[in-house]
Amino acid sequence: MSAVPAARPGGTQRRWLQTPWRFLPIAIVLLIWQLAVDLDLVNRAFLPPVNAVAAALWDMTRNGELAINLAISVYRAFAGLAIGSILGIAIGLAMATSPQADGFFGPLVATTYSLPKSSLIPLFILWFGIGDVTDIVSVVLACLLPVIVSTYHGVKSVPALLVWSARAMGTPHYLVLWRVLLPGALLSIFTGIRIALGFCFVLTISAEMIAAKTGLGKLIFLYGENGAYAYMFGGILAVVIIAYLADRWLLTVMHYALRWHESLHTHHRAP
Amino acid sequence: MNRFIPITAPPEAASAARRGVAALRAFLLYAYPLLLVLAAWELAGWADLVRPLFLPRVISVAQQFWLLLREGEIIAPLLVSLYRTFLGLAIAVVAGVMAGLLMARSKWVNWFLDPLISVGFPAPKIAFVPIFTLWFGIDHVSNILLVAFNCVFPMIVATYHGAASVSRTLVWSAEAMGTSERAMLYRIVLPAALPHILSGVRVTVPVALIITFTTEMIAGGGGVGAALMFAQRFFQTPTVFVYILVMLATGLIFDRAMLVLRHRLIPWHDEIEEV
Repeated sequence: MSAVPAARPGGTQRRWLQTPWRFLPIAIVLLIWQLAVDLDLVNRAFLPPVNAVAAALWDMTRNGELAINLAISVYRAFAGLAIGSILGIAIGLAMATSPQADGFFGPLVATTYSLPKSSLIPLFILWFGIGDVTDIVSVVLACLLPVIVSTYHGVKSVPALLVWSARAMGTPHYLVLWRVLLPGALLSIFTGIRIALGFCFVLTISAEMIAAKTGLGKLIFLYGENGAYAYMFGGILAVVIIAYLADRWLLTVMHYALRWHESLHTHHRAP
Repeated sequence: MNRFIPITAPPEAASAARRGVAALRAFLLYAYPLLLVLAAWELAGWADLVRPLFLPRVISVAQQFWLLLREGEIIAPLLVSLYRTFLGLAIAVVAGVMAGLLMARSKWVNWFLDPLISVGFPAPKIAFVPIFTLWFGIDHVSNILLVAFNCVFPMIVATYHGAASVSRTLVWSAEAMGTSERAMLYRIVLPAALPHILSGVRVTVPVALIITFTTEMIAGGGGVGAALMFAQRFFQTPTVFVYILVMLATGLIFDRAMLVLRHRLIPWHDEIEEV
C-alpha cells in the first residue's frame, strides 16, 4: 500500500521565492489601502487604516474575545457541515443506487435546491429559539443539497464496468458501495463538500447577524452598531482568514484522500 | 441538475382524456413526495400536534398569500429584490468577464488577481454587510454592490477557465493573420468562452438571489427579505411562510429560465461540465 509520492509540478530551485511572490498583490492592496487613508484620499471615519485594523485584531485576540466567538462560530459551522455532508453523501448514494430513493428525494431536492436557506432562519428562530440549534440546523440544510447533488452525479459517473466486475467477483452489495462506488465518486463528493464549506460560513454568519447572543457574526455586528469600525474590520478580516484557511485545509485533505486519483497528478489547481 | 426535470413522454395516438389521465399519473408519480410533505404538514395542524404559531395550517398560508397578493405586498417587495439582484448580477457579469478575459490574456493581470481571488472566493462575503451599510447606507446601492461583490468571483473564474481553454490553433491562426489584441478578445476569445460564461451566470443567479434576500434580512431596507423579517418579528407565521414560498418559487423560476436561455443561446454546446 505504498503510494508513490506525487511529483509536485513547478518545483524549481527558486521555490522559496514562489509563495511571497504569489502573495505580493495582497500586500500591494493593503499598502494602497493604508496610503489612501494616510494621504486623506478617503474619510478616516469610513475606512480605518490598516495599522488600526491590525491593532484592533491584535487587541481582540489578546483579550480572548476573538477566540471565544470564533470557537463558537466555527463549532456551529463545522457541526452543521459534518452532519450535512454525512447525510448528503448517504442520500446521494441512495438516490444513485435505488430508483425508489431517487423517486422520493429527487423532486424534493429539485424543489428546494434553489431556495435561499437563510430564508428559513426566521422560521427556525421561531421553532428552536436563538442559539446553536437554529444555526446548526440551517447550516445542515444549506450543506445538504450541494453534497447530495455532487454525490449523485459522482456515483452515476462511476463506470458500470467496475461495478459489474466487482459483482462478478462476488462482492456483496454493501461492499460494492463502500469499495467501488464511494471511492469512484470521491472527487465529485469533495467538490460538493467544498461548495458546502462556503455555505456553512455564510449561513453561520448570517444567522448570527440576524439573531444571536454570541458568535463572530454577532461580534462584527455589535462593533458596527457601536461605531468601533477598526474592530469591525478586524472581525471581518478574521472571518476572511478563517474561511481561506478552511478552504486550503479542505484542499489538502482532498489531495491526500485522492492521491491515487489520476486527475490530481495532471494540473489540477484551485481557483 | 438537468435530470430533475420530469420527463413526460407524449403518449402517441391517445385520446385527449387518456392523455390527460396519463399526464396526471406522471405528475403524481413525480410529485408524490411533495404532496406527502404537504399532507404531513396539514395533518399535524389538523390533529393539533403543533401550535399554529409555529406551523400554520396550509389553508391559512394560502389565504394569507391571496390577501398579500391583492394588497400588492408580494409584487412590490419582489420587484425591489429582483431589481437589486439583477443590477448587481449585471455589474458582476460585466466586471467578471472583463477581468477573466484579461487574466487569460495577460500574465501580469493574472499574477495580480490570482491571490486576491483565491482569498476572496471562499470568503463569506455576507460578513461585509456592516461595511457596505456603513459606506452606502441600507438602501439599493449597498445591496446591489454586495451582490456584485459576491457574484464577481464565480464570474471571473468561469470566464478565465473558458478563455484559457480556447484552442491554441485558433489563437495562433488569428495571430498569423495579424489580428489585433482587441479583435482577438472580441472575435476569438469571447465567443469561445461563451459557454463557460453562461454556465457561470447560471451558477451565479441563485447566489445573487441568496445574497439579496439575506442582506435584506440582515440590514433591512425593503424587499422580500426585509418583509420576511418584519413578519417574523410580529409572529405572523403565515406571512413568514408566504414569503419563504415566494423566495422558493423565485429561485426555481430563474433556474429554469437560465436553462432555457442557455439552450436558446448556445444549442450546439450541451451542458459542459457543471462547476
